[in-house]
Amino acid sequence: MSEETFEHKPGAYLCGGCGIKDALDMDALEQAVSGGMMVSNVKQSDSFCSGEGYETIKKDIESGEVNQAIIAGCSPRVMVQEFNALGGQIFRANLREQVIWQQPANHEDTQALATDNLRMATTQARKAEPPQAHWDGVTSLKLLVVGGGITGLKAAREASKTGAEVVIVEKTDKLGGWAAKWSKFIPETAPYREPQDNPVPALIKEVEEDDNITVMFNTIVERTEGGPGEFSCRLQTGSDTKWDVFGAVVLATGWRPYESEAQEKFGIGKTDGVITDIEMEEKLAAGELDGVKNIVFIIPGDTDRMVYSSGVSDKVAIKQAMQMVENDSDVMAYIIHEHFRSHGTAEEFYRSAQEKGIIFQRGEVKKIDSDRTVTVDDELLEQEIPMSGIDLVVISTGMVPNSTNIDLEPSEKNPETLCDDINPKAPIFTVNGEEVEDPDADIKSCREKAGEEPPLPGGPLLNLQYRQGPHVPILANGFADSHYICFPYETRRTGIYTAGPVRRAMTATEAMDDAMGATLKAIQAMREANEAKAVHPRAGDLSFPEFGLNICTKCRRCTVECPFGAIDEDPETDYPMINPTRCRRCGTCMGACPVSTISFKNYNPQQVSDMVSAGTEDCPPDKPRILVLACENDAYPAMDMAGIARREANPYMRVIPVRCLGSVTLLWVKTALEKGYDGIMLLGCKSGDDYQCHFVKGSGLAQERMGKVGETLQSMMMEEERVQVNEIAIADSERVTEILNTFGKQIEEIGLNPFKGF
Amino acid sequence: MTAPIPTSKRKYDLNFARWVRDNVAGGDKMNMCMQCGTCSGSCPIGTEMEDGPRKLFMMIRAGMKEEVLSSNSMWECTSCYRCVVRCPRGVPVTYLMQGLAALAAKEGYAPKVENNYFSKFFWMSASKLGKTDERLVPTAYYFSFGFVEGIKRSLANLKIALNMFKAGRMHIGMPHKIRDTKGLQAILAKAREIEDRS
Repeated sequence: MSEETFEHKPGAYLCGGCGIKDALDMDALEQAVSGGMMVSNVKQSDSFCSGEGYETIKKDIESGEVNQAIIAGCSPRVMVQEFNALGGQIFRANLREQVIWQQPANHEDTQALATDNLRMATTQARKAEPPQAHWDGVTSLKLLVVGGGITGLKAAREASKTGAEVVIVEKTDKLGGWAAKWSKFIPETAPYREPQDNPVPALIKEVEEDDNITVMFNTIVERTEGGPGEFSCRLQTGSDTKWDVFGAVVLATGWRPYESEAQEKFGIGKTDGVITDIEMEEKLAAGELDGVKNIVFIIPGDTDRMVYSSGVSDKVAIKQAMQMVENDSDVMAYIIHEHFRSHGTAEEFYRSAQEKGIIFQRGEVKKIDSDRTVTVDDELLEQEIPMSGIDLVVISTGMVPNSTNIDLEPSEKNPETLCDDINPKAPIFTVNGEEVEDPDADIKSCREKAGEEPPLPGGPLLNLQYRQGPHVPILANGFADSHYICFPYETRRTGIYTAGPVRRAMTATEAMDDAMGATLKAIQAMREANEAKAVHPRAGDLSFPEFGLNICTKCRRCTVECPFGAIDEDPETDYPMINPTRCRRCGTCMGACPVSTISFKNYNPQQVSDMVSAGTEDCPPDKPRILVLACENDAYPAMDMAGIARREANPYMRVIPVRCLGSVTLLWVKTALEKGYDGIMLLGCKSGDDYQCHFVKGSGLAQERMGKVGETLQSMMMEEERVQVNEIAIADSERVTEILNTFGKQIEEIGLNPFKGF
Repeated sequence: MTAPIPTSKRKYDLNFARWVRDNVAGGDKMNMCMQCGTCSGSCPIGTEMEDGPRKLFMMIRAGMKEEVLSSNSMWECTSCYRCVVRCPRGVPVTYLMQGLAALAAKEGYAPKVENNYFSKFFWMSASKLGKTDERLVPTAYYFSFGFVEGIKRSLANLKIALNMFKAGRMHIGMPHKIRDTKGLQAILAKAREIEDRS
């Protein structure tokens, strides 16, 4: 951390290309910049992204004349690599996507919007310093793979191919896990019509011959400390323990069979010839199925099981039926299902099964008699059908994730769920200002399923030394954490990546794909940690939160609310203390801090607060102003795309991209209301169990925090509707314009902010 | 059609599905049915059927032999081929219907529907004369319901008949027939022979 003061040398570059100069008065902009914004070095060009214009900026930076380039032109989302290659700090004012492409040319409001965007960018630069690495030590580049099943083997092999050193920790005494027992695999290569050979034996051989890979049998991870690049793990083999340091962890602990009361009613284990699909798989591998002529596969439709099957058991039933028919063409195979799920390429597999004469019947199995007569309530015939003369009944099960180690005693603290820090009672405001009915439905279900009651069986897999507890966090139904929709391998523990059936039920081939993805993420995490940089989604970011301890009240909100467990309390002083490699630079701590004393070098409460003020500096008293704090990951690009589609937008919006909605502090909202903004819209990502928030909890936390703003507004005699939160996905470019324009109209109806002009 | 139909007297017989698959024209394609109901929805006389084609196929799969063979569905089929054209899985529904009707007739399941009488007289005229006679076929059909019903039905259609006379579509005298009825008989005999052989 360098303490020397940073000398700001800003330079503003006004780009007139892409039609900007035809729609805006560039000279007036230049005057505004050199005048009110006090940036003396202002240049204009028709293209700053290439040729002469680009060279101009480069020269200014190289000569030391400029160390902060404020480029006004296209969106900060485009030409990123080009401008970052210039060196120096780059700031962008969006004049293209969100101004000229969404507003009428040469209009007074358009010009005002462009000027304010530039003023906000210059303010941003004035309050920013270049971030510096928090340390420069070299960290471990060794990968720990927990689990020696197909996922773990594939992960180890892929990591080894990149040159990384790998340790596989396997609980049992052999490699391969469940998948090694399968006779055939569900097809995952074109034309997806026949069962495929089992690749596990070959994979085991590859791993055994690989010099980069060490396999530790009968071993568990007994304790894990530190963060990415410096995980120190105590590995326990029998009574021996050994410490080792790893850069990252791939968690591939797999699954165990699902057992339920519903299955018991079918007489598994009691009636002769009624077995589970896992037992069937063993029989197929052993070839013990002579004399079976009529076989029925039952895929029960109970929701509990379906969660743990995810379409896998449906494909397994097709595969097993097909194997039976192919071994003996006299075999008649029936698949009785309530909901058949053969998505994606499995549709081809299903079709192929139909062609081979396998009969699919939709209905609920009412009972199975001791002579294996299956009575089906056929939904399509609307009557009960007794199917007799059946030799074997196979019942589908499911895959329960091994997100805990069931061999161990449960720990005191349950795995952290998504809802643990978010008040489920917090109201969420929609565009119409109505409270959503039961906004916490998802949150509640996850709390019930995973949190207080009933606890998950077993102890922690890694025994993490985090203030959030020893477990890897979980989602609903006990599946290990995963950014399910956008970044499936990400967990809330930076540097720990889940892969395979531990994060959702999947086929063995899908698990191999998963292993590859997670491994690449893990390698990226190790390498970024080695350079003191953030991992995805702010990959390469050097900034990190700093705490102004002189006014810290030790309220612990930052330590509790950090989604990644990056902040601990100092055991002696109780002040917050950062684990920099765990930090993902989202700023959720910044949004949590009630005294706004957490800041990043290039992103801090005062800076954005000043930007908020800058956006309304020149506002005439009769014009409305709406502040939009938009998540830079989804909402902001969606607004850019609205520009690309030339959707006309409200000209009174002033948009500030934020790292995450979780980083929005109430200070900014307060400033906005004081400075005369008439409405404030927060645009973040989807929260809840199917969250899309890049920082997992940021959006949910922001919604909870903003839920409390309503009361403040009322106490100021202002309408609650003036502050709203909305969830936007990156593809919602049409919706985002609609939401903002509706909001604009609503604000017009309510009337202007009474504090305007004070 | 060599394999004997499953003879079990059980109401439900799993082997029936296999038997239809192997022995009825288009039966192998019946497996491709995914029960979407496009056939039944497209059927212009679906409302007349006890079970539409979709349900009939499901009944076959469930082994409901008795109910399938005594259903009126395949007899109501007019062979418009709309279902065949529209089936997303390429099931030749019409062929299957015809095949099932032939099977039901062979197995002695008395069809309950009127158009079986019609078929009978239509076939009588067509196979003897090589043509259908507009007086013979309807009259025989009407009177197959009994004498009083025959008179009633004939009178109801009298006006149409008179108009057909005026238009030259009916005539008085011997029924017309094709020149070479012997040749037709030979063709039909051969066809029967081929059918029995397969």
